[in-house]
Amino acid sequence: MKPPPFTYVAATSVAEAVAALAAHDGEAKVIAGGQSLVPMLNFRLLAPAALVDINGIRELDFVDATADGGLRIGALTRHYTLLTSPDVAERFPVLGEAMRHVAHLAIRNRGTIGGSLSHADPAAELPMMVTLLDATLTVAGPGGERQLAAADFFDGALTTVLAEDELLTTITLPPLPQPHGWGFHEFAQRAGDFALAAAAVVLTADDGAAANVRLAVMGVDENPSRIAAAEAALVGQPVSDDTIAAAAAAVREAVDPPEDLHGSATYRRHLVGGLVERAIRDAWARATGNAGGAA
Amino acid sequence: MDNLPEDLPADLNLMEMRPKIIGARVQRVEDPRLLTGTGQYTADIKLPNMAHLAFRRSEMAHATIDNIDVSAALAVPGVIAVYTAEDFYGQITPPRAESKTEGFHSTPILPLADGKVRHVGEVVVAVVAESRYIAEDAAEHIEIDFTPLPVIADPREAVKNEVLLHDDAGTNVLVDRTFGRGEVDDAFSQAAHIVGGDFRTTRKTASPIEARAAVCEWDRGRRTLTLWSATQVPGVIRDTIGDVFGLSGSHVRVIAPDVGGGFGCKTCLYPEEMVACAAAIKLGQPVKWVSDRMEDLVGTNQAFDEYVHAELAVDAEGHILGLRADVVGDSGAYSIYPWTAALEPVQVISFLPGPYRMPAYAARTRAVATPKTPLGAYRGIGRPTATFVMERLVDLAARAAGIDPVEMRRRNLVQPHEFPYRTGSGLVWDRVGFIESLDAVTDSIGYDDLRAEQLKMREAGRKVGLGVVCYAELGGIGSRIAVAPGMPINTGVETANIRIDATGAITANFGTASNGQGLETTLAQVVAEELGCRVEDVEIRHGDTSLMAHGSGSYASRSAVLAGGAATVSAREVRANVLKVAAMIMEVAESDIDMVGSRIYVPGTDREMTLKQVAHTYYQEMGRLPKEVREEVPLESTRSFDPYLGTAACASHAALVEVDPVTWGVKILKYAAAEDCGRIINPDVADGQMRGGIAQGVGVALLEEIIHDEDGQILTASLVDYVLPSAVEVPIMDVMHVESENPDNGTGFRGLGEGGIIGAPAAIANAIADALDIDIREIPITPEKLFRQTGN
Repeated sequence: MKPPPFTYVAATSVAEAVAALAAHDGEAKVIAGGQSLVPMLNFRLLAPAALVDINGIRELDFVDATADGGLRIGALTRHYTLLTSPDVAERFPVLGEAMRHVAHLAIRNRGTIGGSLSHADPAAELPMMVTLLDATLTVAGPGGERQLAAADFFDGALTTVLAEDELLTTITLPPLPQPHGWGFHEFAQRAGDFALAAAAVVLTADDGAAANVRLAVMGVDENPSRIAAAEAALVGQPVSDDTIAAAAAAVREAVDPPEDLHGSATYRRHLVGGLVERAIRDAWARATGNAGGAA
Repeated sequence: MDNLPEDLPADLNLMEMRPKIIGARVQRVEDPRLLTGTGQYTADIKLPNMAHLAFRRSEMAHATIDNIDVSAALAVPGVIAVYTAEDFYGQITPPRAESKTEGFHSTPILPLADGKVRHVGEVVVAVVAESRYIAEDAAEHIEIDFTPLPVIADPREAVKNEVLLHDDAGTNVLVDRTFGRGEVDDAFSQAAHIVGGDFRTTRKTASPIEARAAVCEWDRGRRTLTLWSATQVPGVIRDTIGDVFGLSGSHVRVIAPDVGGGFGCKTCLYPEEMVACAAAIKLGQPVKWVSDRMEDLVGTNQAFDEYVHAELAVDAEGHILGLRADVVGDSGAYSIYPWTAALEPVQVISFLPGPYRMPAYAARTRAVATPKTPLGAYRGIGRPTATFVMERLVDLAARAAGIDPVEMRRRNLVQPHEFPYRTGSGLVWDRVGFIESLDAVTDSIGYDDLRAEQLKMREAGRKVGLGVVCYAELGGIGSRIAVAPGMPINTGVETANIRIDATGAITANFGTASNGQGLETTLAQVVAEELGCRVEDVEIRHGDTSLMAHGSGSYASRSAVLAGGAATVSAREVRANVLKVAAMIMEVAESDIDMVGSRIYVPGTDREMTLKQVAHTYYQEMGRLPKEVREEVPLESTRSFDPYLGTAACASHAALVEVDPVTWGVKILKYAAAEDCGRIINPDVADGQMRGGIAQGVGVALLEEIIHDEDGQILTASLVDYVLPSAVEVPIMDVMHVESENPDNGTGFRGLGEGGIIGAPAAIANAIADALDIDIREIPITPEKLFRQTGN
């Protein structure tokens, strides 16, 4: 389990990193925390000609609270920083909760948001969170920057629309309505493992009816996704056992779960529905000020 | 001494004075070294001019090797040599573990696959290079032409011998053995209830935190081989390597330095050790091989993997009448050295009757070769499976008879007046705390109250269940009983050499080896107590074959009993000689002096000498002692200890679990275990053994499974897919030690090392079955399986 030979380039600016990627003609990989890349190198699943190390690009390590109530997050921000950020906790508590499920302490100290998004594991929390929260992703390339909606960034399991000479630099989270309710439920056989499935919900209670509903799931398809039919099943009425059941049914209907050693598609479909129900209950309880009763 | 009132009788004075060292919570003496990174593991060994070894392993489960082209690998800069099987012809005599057990067929242990491969991960080509990186790069450039052979991955199919894995064995059934006593058919015909069916324990792997490793150095001038190996059995490896290379034992030294866990998987001779030695001899330069985790998951001997059909017959009151079992064990590709393929599946039927009265028993077990990684030793060997099956049967019978499961066990456990009790398989339980441990564990969890609480929780819709199990094992086995049936080595003896040198320092040498379980502490406690010194005065040496003429290592819960026994007899002899010499120097009668804390003194007086002073006089002061004393009263003793038989050890475990009906995940709410390991040397070490074993049992019960597809491909080749429990999954547990009547084996110690993993899978399985009112027939019990079994 030793990596094959590669050239190492330590970039100190975004421009340098992009130039190094372009110079290697698609044969270079970006290394940030290395928490997914290094195991893949050691298993010799990848053999890039060069690694472009962006850990020295200080300008990519930041969490900025924006004036509109959102956040701008640099791609080099470590998981631990997001987990412990007061701005995340205050403005996007659902993200703060999700971070508690990201791997283990040692991995959180190294792993970065940009790395997780660029790796695009179907069962990772951060791709799901940017999908749920309608993030805008800023990408730098040889020709300058472009902005992508999170929903357009992922292109299948472990695949994104990033070109080989592009680098994800910034994640912008638009503000959530305040106050709002949120729920996040994930299940993995072992703490810190990639999820068998997870569900996240954000909503508000407007005059006793659910509004601004966002519902996303992961681990049950090639990429995390928001389930429009499930959101629609909740909007405009008080959350009840019936609307929860309808939303869960819509999720089970919409997803196409993978089969692997740890769970069949049938089990994952069942599981994600159950997690969605729990996430909705929590979100509604929080939105209606009954959070103490949330399971 | 000055603090004691002078009017106390002298012997009472002594009792008050003498610190009790055996039984004390002495901090582990190895921990400062290990915890500060100053231990030395095999991977830490660095020698001048050392080369590195990597292997090209088989991607095929069963295939002929038609051609191997190594030219591209040899061309990689930094490659020193590339070897295939024929390169070792004439250099290596492949060892073969023979056994006197009935129906046994041996297989060789090959250094490299020769002509055909028999499992994915088998070593085929060895590459030696200037670095491990280069060796791995070169290994990728080797071209191997395979012709696939049919793969029969299921041992229940392989018994038909339609495809043979080892042509020279003539069969895939490497062992076929039956045990029995009493009239089983009569027992079943009289039964009020018969319960049972097909049970399954899947394949596991031990996964110690330090994977295997070997460094070998050949001294051309002295023709001496030194092998550092992450092994539990340096003595076995030394003896075998000598035969493999035609070297006398005095020219082979095997050192097991600090070893980071073994759990049984490091008790065998492995191909990589032979190749490292062969390459070092050929090249005349040291060669190092350190297993990575992927190699560990395909190349280290695996565990359990049985299909068990078992039925239990009980009368209307729940009394056990008889037991039948038929076991098919998946032995993988080779019969391991030295324990043979008989080890695991024979233990299953040896221990299946458990701690219960068993009037009639009939069991058959077969060890079947399949194209998978060899099956080896893993903590508990056979007993986790035996206990899982038997304890499920007892719960099923209790349910059928309408009896509480704990009451069912009380009715059937061998009672104190029935010891020694010969079980259905011929094992003998000496007096041990079957009842006491069950009492302790049910008291600890508050069994009756917990049952009432469980009822309330279930009424509230919670899926909560309680499982209680009992088991018995045999540890500290002497020469009368082979650890593995019929195998060729003596596992029944250990030797200690204790000496006081010219500086007064105490060194205790042992033939056994620690693999992290704290032997340097526990053996020092035994020596200190018996000799009359402090723990910190004793230097324990072990894991080096140059220390002793014979010794095997740590396995089968034996080191505390056997090495502890050797330490006891040897230390007593040294103490007697020290007192004899000191009495002569001090000109008092031997019976008037005592030694405590390395001080030799005359009680009730201020006359005393330190051990250092006695040693100095003995060794350095010419003329102070008659020459006969130095010639005939050595301050040194080498004594062996053989407990002849073994002693029973036992435990009861209880688990309270909750199953989430959405995720089907299992949470262990409460866990308690009470065991009888006889006289405890160090309660912290004993606790640690139990807790670690239970943690592994949680993995066995809920998470761990090595999975092969029908082509024999391993699907769990990383720790992402082979799921070990982490700290979060291991419950907080209440561990209790009960001492019934200590065994009359010279020390009072019973074996402890394996117990935790034996009880935990069964306790968790019974609790889950109770929570969901279902039967559990297979471990691990995963969310997916519970989801399907509950009708989804």
